[in-house]
Amino acid sequence: MIATLLAPRRVGAATAATAVTAVSLAVAMALPRAVARAQSPESHSSDSVGSHSPAITLRAQALGLVTRVDPALGGRAYTEGYLLQPMIMAHGRALRGHLGAVLTLDFEGLTLERGQLTPGAYGEGYVDRRHPHTYLHEALGVAEGAFRGTGVSLAGGKGFVPFGTDDPMMRPFAAYPVNHHLAQILERYALIGAVRRGPFSVEAALFNGDEPRSPGAPPDVERFGDSWAVRVTATVPRSLELVGSYAFVTSPELVTGGGLDQRKWSAAARFDHPTGLVRYALVEWAHTDAFFGDVRTNRFTSFLAEGSAVARPVTLSARFEDTTRPEEERLLDPFRTSRSPTDLGIIGITRWRTGTVAASIERSLGSIDVAPFVEATYARPTDELRPSAFVPREFYGASSVWALSAGVRLGAGRMPHRMGRYGAALPNVAPTMTGGPHVGH
Amino acid sequence: MRLTISRTLRLVALPLAVAGLAACGSDSPTGLRVFTGPALSVLGRGDMTARHMAEVWTRGNVAYTTTWGQRSSNGVTAVGNAVHLWRIDGTAPVLVDSLIVENATTLGDVQVSDDGRLLVVATERQNGSIVIYDLTNPLKPVRRARYQTANTSNGVHTARLARVNGTLYAFLSIDPPDARLVIVDLTDPANPREVFVRAMGNPFVHDVFVRDGLLFTALWHDGMTIWDLGGGGKGGSPSNPVQIGNVRTAAWSPSAAGSAAHNIWWLHDAAGGPYATRFAFVGEEAPGTGGSALNSSNGDIHVVDVGDVSAPREVAFYHVDGAGTHNFSVDEQRGILYAAYYNAGVRAIDVRGNLASCTAEQKAPDGRCDLRRMGRELAAGLQNGSPVYVWGVHFDGSFVYASDMLNGLWKLVATNR
Repeated sequence: MIATLLAPRRVGAATAATAVTAVSLAVAMALPRAVARAQSPESHSSDSVGSHSPAITLRAQALGLVTRVDPALGGRAYTEGYLLQPMIMAHGRALRGHLGAVLTLDFEGLTLERGQLTPGAYGEGYVDRRHPHTYLHEALGVAEGAFRGTGVSLAGGKGFVPFGTDDPMMRPFAAYPVNHHLAQILERYALIGAVRRGPFSVEAALFNGDEPRSPGAPPDVERFGDSWAVRVTATVPRSLELVGSYAFVTSPELVTGGGLDQRKWSAAARFDHPTGLVRYALVEWAHTDAFFGDVRTNRFTSFLAEGSAVARPVTLSARFEDTTRPEEERLLDPFRTSRSPTDLGIIGITRWRTGTVAASIERSLGSIDVAPFVEATYARPTDELRPSAFVPREFYGASSVWALSAGVRLGAGRMPHRMGRYGAALPNVAPTMTGGPHVGH
Repeated sequence: MRLTISRTLRLVALPLAVAGLAACGSDSPTGLRVFTGPALSVLGRGDMTARHMAEVWTRGNVAYTTTWGQRSSNGVTAVGNAVHLWRIDGTAPVLVDSLIVENATTLGDVQVSDDGRLLVVATERQNGSIVIYDLTNPLKPVRRARYQTANTSNGVHTARLARVNGTLYAFLSIDPPDARLVIVDLTDPANPREVFVRAMGNPFVHDVFVRDGLLFTALWHDGMTIWDLGGGGKGGSPSNPVQIGNVRTAAWSPSAAGSAAHNIWWLHDAAGGPYATRFAFVGEEAPGTGGSALNSSNGDIHVVDVGDVSAPREVAFYHVDGAGTHNFSVDEQRGILYAAYYNAGVRAIDVRGNLASCTAEQKAPDGRCDLRRMGRELAAGLQNGSPVYVWGVHFDGSFVYASDMLNGLWKLVATNR
């Protein structure tokens, strides 16, 4: 059924990605489990970069999904199926943990060229669809040490910028929130320094501002360093994390530069505990100002709250979001927008208020984690500016949009790292083990 | 680690203080200063609400307008793939026909050649091209060709027709990435021939103006560059333009990113005199503040002294609070520039004489003459309170036609001093 829902021309590529995922799962199952120390506070304390033999942690995962959005546009419902997030993640360390490497390969470029139907999603030329991520999602080297009770690290390569919150891939829902491009910055060439002392960490990074142009296109290395970010994290107590961050991003949407710049703010509180009824919660605020020089042209804001609770054997999750989205001219494919806007103006702003609920069951089949799930979203988009060249009620043919999804998450191997944090920036919060309610999607 | 309550509160307050710093106010466009002087009289309007109107060009009793982007009504979305034909010999323009361009979502420029034989329409965003029609019957254009190549496929943002040494050319400004200028020989309209292509602009070339063998290019943050096509004595030609001079015009705000040079008109005042061909006008199109297309804009008209084309310099400007200029059309018989001003309708400006000469009170702090303080603001149109968003204007000798993205095609009475 899923195969028939895939775009026919991509069945070959999707088959390739499926094969890669299957092989990766097999490898992950067969690879001798290295002694990967739990990310306990002791393991990241200032004095704990201790004596460890080289270790490699490997994980493979994928998510099969069928989703129906009604209406997707023009009063019409769309039903589609995908293989999402076919990924291989690896983490290695050597020299008693002083050196590390992070690698994440994501094959969505093969399986998700058309994007994943997601009401309100936008970014990198996709709208109302989530864009595929780049093949080389993360590839960094990390050097880490400790001096007089202070942990320090330096990471360099391609990966997440220290800004905002965890990538939605690592959170309870298959559907990304609308605020993905307000709350995360990823897939950039970055140089990231981090300092940790006690419950506090500070990260700072230089990176290239341009967003990925396609899954296979590398960032523009000549633009490395034209953007920067800083993030402060406090862990209070062990399961509660408070985060504030700021980023200046040069011309993210125009790869040649010369487009609007972004000044981004984020603040969040995150709870994460492997036991108990409530396993996870996140409250997040983000805003991005677009600038033409020093003239602010627009502001986009987001408030999001989500959480997961376990009522065995089911994990229940819920999310509320209120986010404003810039509108761009759409192309012949109404789910695509121009990536190179001349005139630098947007055509409207839409406020998306969405509520999402999900239920999943975690099981293990041998070494493979299997988590079937269902998910439902209700969204109400409204135009913020009038007159506007984009009127949601007119475009979608309704004042509200429903999305229903069902799927299964598969994974093998242990989650090697908390995606988006490197070296001393990894907080003293034990992440939920593989197969938990919101990690290892 | 045990934490005291006060320390806990500080730890909680620190990152969350970031949230408190955020302004929660939503975007809203900057207030528009309404012109209180004479109004351009409105004769009538041809309504168009099925699509957003874009550019306008008239020839004789016919107006041609293009369309832009998408416009939805009750779940039905129409894209900007239509050219509309209007009869304009009455009070209000009357829609008489449409041309649909396949595989297009936005049409930008439209222009009739100087001899009235050809209509050329630009397609943008995807499948960038120019579509060339024969106008033997002005009300029944017949397609001769659709010119699309690898050099145009990113999107033709603007297309200008001009004759150089008797040959008709189309000058195409191509969208980024890899923004470039493409010059096409239209001697055989059924078989256009590319004669020149070059990457230019910072980050793109937006539009051009061609006259007397000189090419003026609007290069966004690189301002305006003047090239010899054969009239500048530098050995240039359409197949080999030679750069002569450049000026980076000021931004509408000291805080703005740069020139945003959008369009150009080199004045040839029919009254003659020492200033008849002295000045070129550069339109600046900056994004609106707090708004979006159809409700907000910024950008000034910049007056550049091109008496020495190798050293052009900005000498004056025209500014409207809360709005920005778009395209121009000039009544060179009377020395009046009509500017489309988006959410501020249409402005008529007296551009005759020495625009670089003004009193100290008429100067801006940076020394440029302020045309408004000089009293050169003659009239404004479509400022009656109903929202408008005027993309283009076209002066046909008697009337001014304004293409309003929200409402349709307006017919206004031209003004005089």
